[in-house]
Amino acid sequence: MINSKPTAIIIGAGFTGCALAYDLAQRGFDVTVVERGELASGTSGRTHGLLHSGARYCVTDPEAAVECIQENIILRRIAKQCIEFNGGYFVALDDADLAYAPAFFSQAQVCGIPVEEIGVKHALEAEPALSRQILAAYEVPDGAFDPLRLAMAFAASATQLGARFHTFHDVTGFLQDGKGKINGVRVTDRHADHSWEFNADITINATGAWAGVVAEIAGLSVPVQPTPGVMVAYEKRVTDRVINRLCEPDDGDILLPQRRMAVIGTTSFEVQDADYIPVTPDQVQQMHERAALLVPELKNVKMRGAYMSARPLIGGMMSGRSLSRTFKCYDHLANDSVDGLVTVTGGKATTCRVMAEKTADLVCQKLGWHRTCETAELPLVDYHLYYQTREVLA
Amino acid sequence: MTGSTWQVTFKVYRQRTGEKPSHQSYSLDVDPDEYILDAVERIWAFHDRTLTYRHACHHSTCGACGMRVNGREKLTCITTIRSVTRNGGTVRIDPLRNFPVISDLVVDMGNFFLRMEKSGFDSVVPLDKANLPYESTITRVSEHKHEAERLADCIECGLCISACPAANTDHEYIGPAVLASIHLMYTQSPSQALIDQADHHTGLWRCHSAYECTQVCPSGVDPAWRIMDMRKKIIGNRIKSIFTRPNEDKKNA
Amino acid sequence: MPNQPEAKNWPRWFDPRSRSLGTFGFILNRITALALTLYLILHLIALGQLAQGPAAYDGFIALVKNPLFKLGELLVIAAGVIHGLNGIRIALNSFGIGVRRQRSMFVILMALAVLCIAFFGWKMFMEG
Repeated sequence: MINSKPTAIIIGAGFTGCALAYDLAQRGFDVTVVERGELASGTSGRTHGLLHSGARYCVTDPEAAVECIQENIILRRIAKQCIEFNGGYFVALDDADLAYAPAFFSQAQVCGIPVEEIGVKHALEAEPALSRQILAAYEVPDGAFDPLRLAMAFAASATQLGARFHTFHDVTGFLQDGKGKINGVRVTDRHADHSWEFNADITINATGAWAGVVAEIAGLSVPVQPTPGVMVAYEKRVTDRVINRLCEPDDGDILLPQRRMAVIGTTSFEVQDADYIPVTPDQVQQMHERAALLVPELKNVKMRGAYMSARPLIGGMMSGRSLSRTFKCYDHLANDSVDGLVTVTGGKATTCRVMAEKTADLVCQKLGWHRTCETAELPLVDYHLYYQTREVLA
Repeated sequence: MTGSTWQVTFKVYRQRTGEKPSHQSYSLDVDPDEYILDAVERIWAFHDRTLTYRHACHHSTCGACGMRVNGREKLTCITTIRSVTRNGGTVRIDPLRNFPVISDLVVDMGNFFLRMEKSGFDSVVPLDKANLPYESTITRVSEHKHEAERLADCIECGLCISACPAANTDHEYIGPAVLASIHLMYTQSPSQALIDQADHHTGLWRCHSAYECTQVCPSGVDPAWRIMDMRKKIIGNRIKSIFTRPNEDKKNA
Repeated sequence: MPNQPEAKNWPRWFDPRSRSLGTFGFILNRITALALTLYLILHLIALGQLAQGPAAYDGFIALVKNPLFKLGELLVIAAGVIHGLNGIRIALNSFGIGVRRQRSMFVILMALAVLCIAFFGWKMFMEG
């Protein structure tokens, strides 16, 4: 039982780490976040940037779909500062897509996702760049967000409540008392090649695709399968709405507007090491073809960028697309008889806040610190204010 | 991605906090259609884990990966290797100018971000105000339950400030990005507070027309145009106020 | 901390490496401004000398006929023409006029400047 302000260390400053720092700080924790790179420099920064309505998963993964639409509504309320919300279309391009439509429409409603059938003529008027081949269109509340600024908004909200972020600090070891308890971490300040130790009542491993790698430092095992996919950005904002292919989740079936760009994604394949994943020309070519199916003029638009991003999928017997996109918290006391460490991994950008909420609930339960989550109500602090109380360790 | 291979040497600025800087050379086999950021990342992953650098989105929305490539400000995630060198060439990579260097290629953006906040920069703008006034906007999003919007052009990458000679010598100059932000916010919602920030010796009048900001901006903000347009607005207001009598002021207010 | 904006960085204003046309205008305006200011000071000193009587005046005219001096005067004209024409461009830009065409304006005005300088040079050296 904790009687005074509990201390927490969060490893990883992606969406999960930043949202968790905010939640725990709000619940009265003294929070320190350590991250080996810049904020959101892992998977989170390179997310496609789709604020999911959940419609994509309503048939194949309804659990994930329900989570998405609930968090979609919350994020639109608390994170307006980095979301462009213009809705999205699901479009059918062939008979197979049309055959999927009834299940899609009814399941979306079952999951609580606002969905409306739009006439093809209306869709083409609203989005003239769409392929003339579309056979049906449905509108859903999809949006696009800026990845770094979303993480920064959570981080700013956390720092305004006293949390400290130490970016460019690499965890090199865990402080263990030899009796099965982890009391903190040993880090290297990469700016100055300086070692530090941080102590805490609870350490949370929020490193996403690297959760397994970091757990291994403590001699523990977490089944995370880094599963990257390619994203290609084009030089022209061809649509204002998100355009999805009306089919079961497949490669290259989401085209996202973002600033002056259109971004197509993605593929899915497994890797061992998420530290560097090269972009392969054949996957880029595949994306060009898929993008042109949705918006033919993209054939003639110059490519602006191409990159890979490693999803943290929770490992198991199944692979890739069939793995659940929801998240998992591991209390290592229950799993491995090691106290003081919790790992959270999996999940999607859209559900980062509820991932943080559930993890914080688990942490509070472990420490006997009874506070409830309030992060769904108040708008996040202006992301610029992340820099207001920052200390740079020399 | 063509799949061909070039041999390129990267001379990278290295500095531990507070210590003397130097350049370290790394020889890499690269695909020339890959990006400079990919090369930097590869140096970190396979050659030197002590290299520090900022990056997040890898597709020019976050603004984190700004660096100087062969002396010129670039957003490295969208700058191909092919565009800055040839097979067998050398590429020099330095951090941005006019920001304090924390280590290697990492600069402190704190002061800049706080100035952007002070200018009221809202990263999401109505679609019909997002483009520059001299560009056309096709508002496709019709009959919406809410106003169409998009993320603003400025990604706060700092390239403009790095390239600006005035920002090189005056640490109080708020800089092109902040002035562009004031202009953008002013076009949406004119206010005296915005004018006061701009109409100041640390604001619009510190600019001396080098126009490097617009040259290096990767996002189409055109800060130079916005600065001059803001000057036109302010000078226009001043001239009008000479010819407006106090009574008329009350009528127009 | 290193790499901060500081007044002592001013020599970097004159480093044209990795810079575009706008900076060349910026550099030229500063160099010509300094040159014209220096000329003004020299001119006032020279006038001061002349106030000392006919002998000083004749001596001064002899000096002025020296070709090297004429070259100096041509440089002053060049500085004035360049500074003036570029200045017009900058003044127009400051009222929001022609900002998007600032590069082509610079090229055209500097071409005009070269013509003017050539004209004056011809007048000064060919016609004596």
